[in-house]
Amino acid sequence: MKIPISLEDLTESLRCLPGVGPKSAQRMAYHLLQRDHIGAQRLANALTRALEHIKHCEMCNNFTEEAVCEFCRSERRDSGLLCVVEMPADLMMMEQAQCYRGMYFVLMGRLSPLDGIGPREIHLERLLKRAQDGLVQEVVLATNFTMEGEATAHYISELLHTRGVRVTRIARGLPVGGELEHVDSGTLAQAVLERREI
Amino acid sequence: MTTDKHRQDAQPAFVLHTYPYLETSLVIETFTQNFGRVPLVAKGARRPRSALRGSLMAFQPLQISWAGKSELKTLHKVEWQGGQPFLQGMSLICGFYLNELLVRLLHRDDPHEQLFLYYQQTLAALSTQKDYTPVLRHFEQRMLQELGYALILSHDVESSKPISSDQEYCYKIEYGPVSLKKGSNGSGLKITGKTLLDMDQDDYSDAVTRQQSKALIRYILNHYLGDQPLHTRQLLKDLQQL
Repeated sequence: MKIPISLEDLTESLRCLPGVGPKSAQRMAYHLLQRDHIGAQRLANALTRALEHIKHCEMCNNFTEEAVCEFCRSERRDSGLLCVVEMPADLMMMEQAQCYRGMYFVLMGRLSPLDGIGPREIHLERLLKRAQDGLVQEVVLATNFTMEGEATAHYISELLHTRGVRVTRIARGLPVGGELEHVDSGTLAQAVLERREI
Repeated sequence: MTTDKHRQDAQPAFVLHTYPYLETSLVIETFTQNFGRVPLVAKGARRPRSALRGSLMAFQPLQISWAGKSELKTLHKVEWQGGQPFLQGMSLICGFYLNELLVRLLHRDDPHEQLFLYYQQTLAALSTQKDYTPVLRHFEQRMLQELGYALILSHDVESSKPISSDQEYCYKIEYGPVSLKKGSNGSGLKITGKTLLDMDQDDYSDAVTRQQSKALIRYILNHYLGDQPLHTRQLLKDLQQL
């Protein structure tokens, strides 16, 4: 039996999603066509609309439908603080923690030399421009505590130091409410290394 | 259990690189002392409360256990060995460079016990020394040697005469240094005898030596790496330009 071209095209297109191989793509395509026509239509419309309207905020680089997103337009936020995060999900976590009232910049990635992701891929030139707008007093680096996140933080701090911007890095250590007995060795070793006077 | 050849327990290893696999797992490229580069699946390592997360850090000595018959084996246990300061800043980027070299040049399941020890010493040196050039050059030379591409730095491969410090040589890939005669221009890299001798002695105090040895190593590595350039080299270059 020959598979219709449009079906083959759909299966092939679904494979652009992360973690979707040929088998899963086929399953999804059959499901959409067999059982969920309305869902399929909604998905198609949502995709088209998102592609048309969503762009990067001019100030924070996060996804938005407007030129400047709501966060950056807010007058109640401290424009002297700029927090750099890797992904939009990290920004949401920061907001959930309700610990920070400054502005954000979303890199949409991290430096990962072994994957070929360098400074050009993570919008650093836009971050530099943003950090030197005259209002920003301090850049808070909140990239992940992975090796890649650390490398990213180092790279950004070097870039900003040479331009005379104050840079800080969020602290790390034991989780709040954490017990030494149950913490992993890497975290504990780092916490001891970075101990502070009280 | 130890008689099972598909199962390995408590092997000294370093994590070279990790990348996401399926929904919650990681594939880790490990460099083990006794088995060389081994790719493993760390199941569930990306779950929020996974105990593996904090342990599967690159540049840290670990003891790992795995099992499996296929090429991609399954990680069972990680034990933190410690004693290695964390790499930071520039030394971290140098560490990435070492890892990229190993990922690109080592074949899977090809043991290099000596290279493992050199790697461990190099990481320790990177975390304590300010001047990275000698540390990196030393490692690159040892690595080439372990991979069977050792540099010849002591004698002219054509005349078999010892290298003389005030003479010019032409270094040919997979051949060695050849005395540069006036008017001849063969393929290869022009280099002074002094640089060759300095490299042989691991002496990188001279600025010319530093510059020429870097060019020589780069010339040779490029040959073995093929068309794809090293990403970390670009990153280092960008960073040094600041």
